[in-house]
This record gives sequence, structure tokens and C-alpha cells, in this order.
Amino acid sequence: MIGPKLVGKNDVALVPMTLENFRLHGPWMMQPEVGRFWGPRFGEVTPESAEKRYKEFAESETSVNWTISYLDEPVGFTGIFDIDWVRRDGESGILIGRADLFGRGIASEAIRLRTDFAWRELRMHRVHNWIAHANRGSRRANEKAGYKQMGLFRRSFFRSGEWYDEWLGEAYPHTFPDQR
Amino acid sequence: MALGGTIRGKKTSLRLPVESDLETYNRWMADMRVRRAHGVWHEPAMPATWKERFKEIAKDKQTVLWSIDAAGQLLGLVVGHVWSMGNGFDVNHFLIDPDEWRKGYGSDAALALHRYVFDYLDLRVATFEIRADNAAALTIAHKLGYTEFAHGHNVDYRDGAYVDEVKLRMDKEAWHERWSAEREYPPLAADATR
Repeated sequence: MIGPKLVGKNDVALVPMTLENFRLHGPWMMQPEVGRFWGPRFGEVTPESAEKRYKEFAESETSVNWTISYLDEPVGFTGIFDIDWVRRDGESGILIGRADLFGRGIASEAIRLRTDFAWRELRMHRVHNWIAHANRGSRRANEKAGYKQMGLFRRSFFRSGEWYDEWLGEAYPHTFPDQR
Repeated sequence: MALGGTIRGKKTSLRLPVESDLETYNRWMADMRVRRAHGVWHEPAMPATWKERFKEIAKDKQTVLWSIDAAGQLLGLVVGHVWSMGNGFDVNHFLIDPDEWRKGYGSDAALALHRYVFDYLDLRVATFEIRADNAAALTIAHKLGYTEFAHGHNVDYRDGAYVDEVKLRMDKEAWHERWSAEREYPPLAADATR
């Protein structure tokens, strides 16, 4: 499903994901500056496949998907995926697609909005994620929203001659700091 | 495309699943002993729904389904996922018929599966998620060489309460250290390539 508009601080908002914005995901993920801690940097990045995948995202009953907006421009995406409505648990993810905007706190605010929505609107019990251990910015942004380390997956993937570990986090309503 | 072929253990075989297995799958998914021990692959459903699921997994490029068999009797199933980069394997579901628990079928089938993963597919790592109170599954995993890399708190809900989940991994090095005598095939004969 597509998430509703959530207005945050510092010109950051989560807005309903549109097909137009979804089409930006492929080109974002193919940039080396953005993809260091992301996927393999190849894939079926065509307008037709984007439309098909967008439809799947929109129709999904086990995910909530947003575009991240900064100064009213789409700059990334975030969501909660693979939601199990019995366990009330889901996996969260985020990508800031504009490397020139790294370090401005956009991800921190987006994660805060997303996590707050998980507790206050979805009535979820837990969210969890995997983050490259070396991606300190993302890890810190998640920790600020209440994620705590539950494990470390060593030698998860190999880039530029070295192994990257992954940090596993989990968050609960009681670990969410009230930042409103 | 992703129905698994035969992998032989000592007491069990993982074999190509067939449509006539689906009725038994359905019965297992509706068994509360199974549901207490671990998550189900799919919820119980009508035969037509199971046929659709079977068609879907047969087309899946990276998820593999096997049936577990012993002396011609269907005893369980395995669902595993080969990583998109092709170097790892997640054991998603490993189910033994609850009427056949504690007879050694699980450990035998698990050893055969991992021999295939490390000795045949030459993968780097396997992972397995187990409910923290599933002592039998944890024992099998630890005997194989799995070690814990994460512990999720209050993850799975059943029987009126949450239970923790243990995430385990086993690396190829651990396999070779413990099970180097386990091979899919004997070494090639010295003159095999002449």
C-alpha cells in the first residue's frame, strides 16, 4: 500500500509514492555514490518494469511505501515491508537517492516519521532492519528512532577489496523516544 | 524451475515434490504442533490454491522446494532461497511430519541438504532462523555447525505469547572443518580426464 502524507521537521516529509517518483528509484540506485551500501547496481531498470513494480507496491497489503520529500522535491524512498499482521512485525528500509544531500538529517527525520507511524497508526509491535555496519549515518539515524542492535552479520558482502558486515536492528514502541 | 532434485541422505532423501504431496502439506500446515514449532510455509487452503502455490514456486528462479521422503513415505518439506548474488542460501522452512519427530529424520535430511549447499553448490554461507524455544531444531543446527549471529526479541506470536527468534549462520569453512568427509560424489578417478 501507499503511505499517507506525513509532514516532518526541517522541510522533510513522507509523501504518497507516485509512479512518477517511483521511476526515479532505478536511476538513483545505479549511482555509485548512492549504491555503496546498497544492491549490485544492475537490474531491470526500464519504464515498463518500474510501472509493474509500482503497481505491486501499491497493491501490496504487507508493505507501506513513501517517497521522501525535501523542500518539496523527491529525494528518496522509505517503507516498511514484509509486514506480518499476526506478529505485527515488519522490515524497514530507506534510501536517499541524492548524494549531494547526505548529512543534512533527511534520513533521520524520515525514519522518525516512519517509525512513529508504525506505532501510532499501524499498531505494530516491532520493526527490524539490516544496515551496512559501516554506514554510520544510517545506523545513527535508526538508533535515534529507537532501533537497538540485535546482531551482526559478518562478511555480508564484498566491495572494493574488503568485506562489509551488516548491523541488525530492532525497535519497539517502548524504545521510541518522544520527539514530537 | 525451482523444484529441487534428489539429494540422498542415509535415512531420508530430499526429492522432487509432486502435486500429490500437496494434500499432506496442507495437513501439516493445519497441525498446531507444527505451528507452535515454527512458521508455516503457507496457510491451510483448498486444493486449487495449493496447486497455484505449487505452480508459483516451480517458476521462482531462486526459491527451491523439496519434499523429504523415507522409504517411499512423504515425511517433510524444505524451502530454501538462493541469494540474488548467488553465494548464500537461506533455509526458509524445514518441516518434518510431527508424527515422525524424534526419529532422526530431521538431522539426516538437514545434513544432506547442507552437503548439497556447500559441497555441490559451493556456496559461502547458509542461514536459518529458529524460534528460541524450538530445542530440537536448535540442537540439529548446532550439531551441523551453525552459530548465532543475532537474537530478535519477542518476534513470533503463538499460543498467546511472543517468543524470541535466533538467527544462525554456517560458513563453508565450518562445514569443511566438521563434515569434510561428506561429499556428493567421490573424487574423480586419476584417469578421468585422460
